[in-house]
Amino acid sequence: MQCRKWRAYTVVSNPVAEGKPVVERERLAIEEALRGLDESAPLPAAVPSTRLPVEPLVPVPGQQIRAVGQRAVRPDSRNHGLGQTRYIADFTLPGMLHAKIKRAGVASARIKRIDTSAAEAMPGVISVVVGCEVPVNSFGPTFQDQPVLADQLVRHAGDGVAGVAAVTEQIAAEALEKIIVDYEPLPAVFDPLEAMREDAPKVHPPKSNIYHSMVVRRGDVEKGFAQSDHIVQGRFTSQMVEHVSIEPHAAIADWDANGRLTVWATIGRLTLARADLARTLQLPMNHIRLIGTIVGGNFGGKNEISQEPALALLSKKAGRPVKGILTRGEEFIASTARHPFIMDYKTGVTKDGRILARTARLVLDGGAYCSWSETTLSKSCILAAGPYKIDNVRSEAIAVYTNKTMTGAMRGFGAPQTCFAYESHMDDIATALGIDPLEFRLRNAFEEGSQTPTGQVLHSVAVKQTLLKAAERFGWEIQS
Amino acid sequence: MIDVMIIVNGETRCASVAPETTLLALLRDHFGLTGTKIGCDVGDCGACTVIVDDQPVDACLMLAAQADGRRVLTIEGVASKDKLHPLQKAFEESGALQCGFCGPGIILSAKALLDQNPAPTRHEIRDALAGNLCRCTGYAKIVDAVSEVARVYRSEQSRG
Repeated sequence: MQCRKWRAYTVVSNPVAEGKPVVERERLAIEEALRGLDESAPLPAAVPSTRLPVEPLVPVPGQQIRAVGQRAVRPDSRNHGLGQTRYIADFTLPGMLHAKIKRAGVASARIKRIDTSAAEAMPGVISVVVGCEVPVNSFGPTFQDQPVLADQLVRHAGDGVAGVAAVTEQIAAEALEKIIVDYEPLPAVFDPLEAMREDAPKVHPPKSNIYHSMVVRRGDVEKGFAQSDHIVQGRFTSQMVEHVSIEPHAAIADWDANGRLTVWATIGRLTLARADLARTLQLPMNHIRLIGTIVGGNFGGKNEISQEPALALLSKKAGRPVKGILTRGEEFIASTARHPFIMDYKTGVTKDGRILARTARLVLDGGAYCSWSETTLSKSCILAAGPYKIDNVRSEAIAVYTNKTMTGAMRGFGAPQTCFAYESHMDDIATALGIDPLEFRLRNAFEEGSQTPTGQVLHSVAVKQTLLKAAERFGWEIQS
Repeated sequence: MIDVMIIVNGETRCASVAPETTLLALLRDHFGLTGTKIGCDVGDCGACTVIVDDQPVDACLMLAAQADGRRVLTIEGVASKDKLHPLQKAFEESGALQCGFCGPGIILSAKALLDQNPAPTRHEIRDALAGNLCRCTGYAKIVDAVSEVARVYRSEQSRG
């Protein structure tokens, strides 16, 4: 029955295939059949055996099937809609244990003692791990400043201090309650501007809380301000944002008897993650097999390892595979978030609305660890002046440690924060000058061949056309 | 332990579970129906939506024992052996499934709506899906897909 349907599809004449070599015609017929898959095809959509040529098909220029302008359906969406896609939470391995991580719950403290004996004595608890057992207890995509499990200092409330693997999630969660941690509370700092002061508590003593900075200069801003008719200033702040991917961070670690480690993880950057696993666990890279699974939303929040080394050690101690899934609460306190920015803008304009100079000072609240702050900082600093022709620009960005959840990659790497600031600032300037906000942007927007503050010459620039088209679409009329 | 008997996707199934077991844990851990997802486990995200006696329910908020003797439809029971449900087909064709994690819950919320109201307005569709979060922010295409199915239902009705 199934085969007859398929044959019926393959004999459909295909104008694209006319005059093509036999091999190509067969391939096109199969593609046509796949494209024609609809509700009449049996489920699950299994491709019947075909007489595909053994030699690989090399694309021939000018003879490929049309792709541009064709509707494409996500190849994985059928399984998604049928509930057949397997995310990590849906996997079970024989003998698998469930892990939970104990979170510090205090923003800044020195760990005096961790007593895990009561937890280890609980029936159903198979293994327990603490920070001092991690071979190299630090990782990070830029600076290796984040511990797998905090062993000396707690730098934010979401820091893990111990991990438990048990036969059920419930037993693991109960065991966390029995772990006793003695803390010596330390002063904490939560405001990035406060954290920049000399006398502020240090998040990573003895290092300064300012851990990265960058300046972009073009022209002479002082001269530009001196020539300006008006100077407009403003401060803009943005808040911390969690990615909240609907699938929480999840991983399974299986340390086998040959000393080989297999990790299934919801990580987007596998090569980096494998290097971090090799470093933290002091395992040769070729002993680690890292399998990236289908991810239920990343948005930048799953770009580095988190619990994986702890799960690996729990698995090593237990001799069994260990699965760990963050709770929704942990997602908010223990995974990275978007950087809150404090953005100070100053712009000098002529009476007729030409921008002569702009300065921007961005302070990034990095939270307790660097994560992807360096990338976020560079991108925001480079883009801080906005898509406008300005001869004199100075933008400065500073990333600062605070005793809060670490901030890292999130869609746009800092660009959305600055966009919010400079566009709000543009509206303020337009209001101050009494010029229509759209007209003010059109007078200053990038054009073909404009140079960015970093000296990049731009081509295919369509800022003005885009603005005008958008204004037309939502019915904005320029008020003169 | 509590003995629970439910009719899952038309099939009668039994399990002996601890009293605190949720319907979600029963479906996933005891019956192996992992199409029902755990997003938050506290009733915020709707990823675990199933249909219990015609009503969409967050399976994480219902105890397994509360579902005893009732009919439960999970995503695994939406398609027939050889045919996609129109909603699954529309979701696939509209690009309404991106990472796919919220998909099963949203399809079931939409199905519960269409089963009761085959001709919902766009507003009614949005209202029925208000309990389901999609963080890929694909809401427009999701609502498009449900509207498309509703449109087909309406035209079938008018042809009557």
